[in-house]
Amino acid sequence: MPTFLKGFLERNGTGPGLLMLALVLFWVVGLIILPQLSMVDFSFRPNLPPPEIGGPKDVYTLDNYRHLVFGPKGSSADYNYVDLGVFFRTIVAAICITIFNLILCYPIAYYLGQTKGNHIRVLALMLIIPYWINEILRAFALRIIFGQTGVLNTLLVSLGIFDQPYDFIRNDIALYAGLGYAYILLMIFPIYNVIESLDRNQIEAARDMGASWWRIHRRVVIPYAKPGISSGCTMVFMLSAGALAAPQILGGPSSLWFTQIIYQWFNDNGNWPQGAAYAVVLLVSCILLVLTVMRLFKVNMGDIGK
Amino acid sequence: MRFSFLRLSIWFYMALFFAYLLGPLVIMSVTAFNSPSFPRMTPWECLTFEWFSALFQDERILNGIKNSIIVGFGTVILSVSMGLAGALMLTQIWPKLRATYYTIIIAPILIPGVVLGISTLVFWDRINRLLGLGADSFLSNGLFLTIIGQSTFIASYCMLVLVARLQRYDIGLTEAALDLGATHAQAFRKILLPFMRPAIASAAVLAFLASFENYNTTTFTFGAYPTLTIELAQKVRYGITPAISALAFIIVVLTVLAALANEANIRRKELAAAANATTVATVSGGIRLPRFLSGNPAAIILVLCAVAVITVAGTAATYSPAQCISDIREQKRIETEKRIQELRREREEREQSKPETTEPAIDPSTTPQSNNSGFGGVFAPDALGIGDDGATAPIEQPEESSGFGGVFDPGNLTTAPETPPADTENTSGFGSVFNPETLGGTSD
Repeated sequence: MPTFLKGFLERNGTGPGLLMLALVLFWVVGLIILPQLSMVDFSFRPNLPPPEIGGPKDVYTLDNYRHLVFGPKGSSADYNYVDLGVFFRTIVAAICITIFNLILCYPIAYYLGQTKGNHIRVLALMLIIPYWINEILRAFALRIIFGQTGVLNTLLVSLGIFDQPYDFIRNDIALYAGLGYAYILLMIFPIYNVIESLDRNQIEAARDMGASWWRIHRRVVIPYAKPGISSGCTMVFMLSAGALAAPQILGGPSSLWFTQIIYQWFNDNGNWPQGAAYAVVLLVSCILLVLTVMRLFKVNMGDIGK
Repeated sequence: MRFSFLRLSIWFYMALFFAYLLGPLVIMSVTAFNSPSFPRMTPWECLTFEWFSALFQDERILNGIKNSIIVGFGTVILSVSMGLAGALMLTQIWPKLRATYYTIIIAPILIPGVVLGISTLVFWDRINRLLGLGADSFLSNGLFLTIIGQSTFIASYCMLVLVARLQRYDIGLTEAALDLGATHAQAFRKILLPFMRPAIASAAVLAFLASFENYNTTTFTFGAYPTLTIELAQKVRYGITPAISALAFIIVVLTVLAALANEANIRRKELAAAANATTVATVSGGIRLPRFLSGNPAAIILVLCAVAVITVAGTAATYSPAQCISDIREQKRIETEKRIQELRREREEREQSKPETTEPAIDPSTTPQSNNSGFGGVFAPDALGIGDDGATAPIEQPEESSGFGGVFDPGNLTTAPETPPADTENTSGFGSVFNPETLGGTSD
């Protein structure tokens, strides 16, 4: 028995120690690492009926990735414009939603973090309540509002801003509003947590030295809140790029989100390896993007989730 | 001056922000009480509770709730215990490995739920095949896969909550217990667990809520056991009814009540602590409000809300919107009739002035194309709502069918294109013949 295991069991006792070890191993290896590896492995295999799996045809191939870039074999187009277009649109839209959420939430988080009083608790409660409501129901609520006969259209038409009801759903405005709405809380709380611990004296010192409010934020608050901002942005970006419910409910009939294509490969077309390949592409490109941005802004991975 | 302007703009911004955050929920809740069968707030027609009874008669929703609760409990047990083990491990692992380990166990929060669902499905499918089990084995069971898939990332949330508390734990307490002769298991159960209990409770609540509302992962793993969220998504995607609003309203009310109860509880403890800090005598003595309520706004609001819910539920049991609904129908019927009368009068005037044109020269089958606005009304946004009047008129007043039947008169058809149907109300009575709701209405 290796010494570290012995030491570990001695510190925790044999029974609790073994149980702890088993649970952690099950979680880390059995639920996190192996399934991801297995998905990556699966994405390199052809789509075979169950009896042929493990047979001579079951070899590694790049076909599934080829399909995303160049389209099905024998197609006339040079590239798979539909899927690639959806992919880049998803990434760009997720970035825009993240920036929009950051701009929207930063003032609120700053206000909540720097003000003391009983009403702050009420406001925090009001922030949390929407987050406890089902994601589907939140999307549903926005659909009621943005529908053809929805509240917003009725209001705009009666005010005379539009003479025809505007189709928010077809133009994807409902989708962007819904995605922004869904993850607001994940942006506010990390920033709030950091700003709350910022010493107010620092701000006052900066003000005494004659800094304008814009300069105070740029030089004092934002550098201090950087871990919170980055963790909020990472979560919002990853979750909105990987969102499925909001695009399904609020998306226009002609526009797709990349996760919807993955969903179609799995559930409608029954081509699991193809879907797994698309999922791997989504995961890897999101992670690479996040790591690049974090490197650019000099933030550590360890700050996420604080 | 500048200060007050800044303050005003902050409040204005906050108001806008919270309107964006809470407005959709309020509007959705309101639609649960409006009678049109498409969830809408305007125009307000009748206060009704029928969507709630429709909700409780929905087998699929009830079954979904049952599955959600089973999955929720499974996820709570698995993810809290894994989260606790993971958090304890984090405090003991070598410093060199700590950053890597932390990255790995925090990663599931950032991995898109879709990817988690797929990887769970693919991996356990492979294990299942390796073991040579059939398609109906335990490992490909929807409940098992859903619990496993959700626990993967919910355990990370639990771990974060538990680590925050564990950092304040004094390891000396465990050592003291061991010195006094406790076994490791006893020290764990009697010293560490009681210390961790508040964090474990909040982790469990968090895990249950996260499991209850999860969609992205579950949609790949649920198999034959659709949870409530899955059922809701199916319903919302293929036709929405106010019954969903009714469910949302119930969830909103439960959430608010739970939040208030929690707030009241915290406040009560604070008050008790404050009272203990001063003198005991001032607290005990004399007749006063129940301690629970005094100086505790959250508790007062909670009680008021509870009373309101009971009152509303009580009224709902006795209240019947039938009168109001029939009133609205009657009103619409009268409006429709008026329009038909007007139409007929116009036609008659026209007939008198130009008798030649009354010949049915235009083939009825071509009229739909020429009568563009009349049929366009079917697709007009208001058609669904106004469609009611077309549907109800023939049912309630069968003897009036002559007035309505005039619509189908070939003579009427020929004149209809000539009389410019200026208002949509006019055309919708015509267009609603093809409205799906008409079918539903006549079958009653």
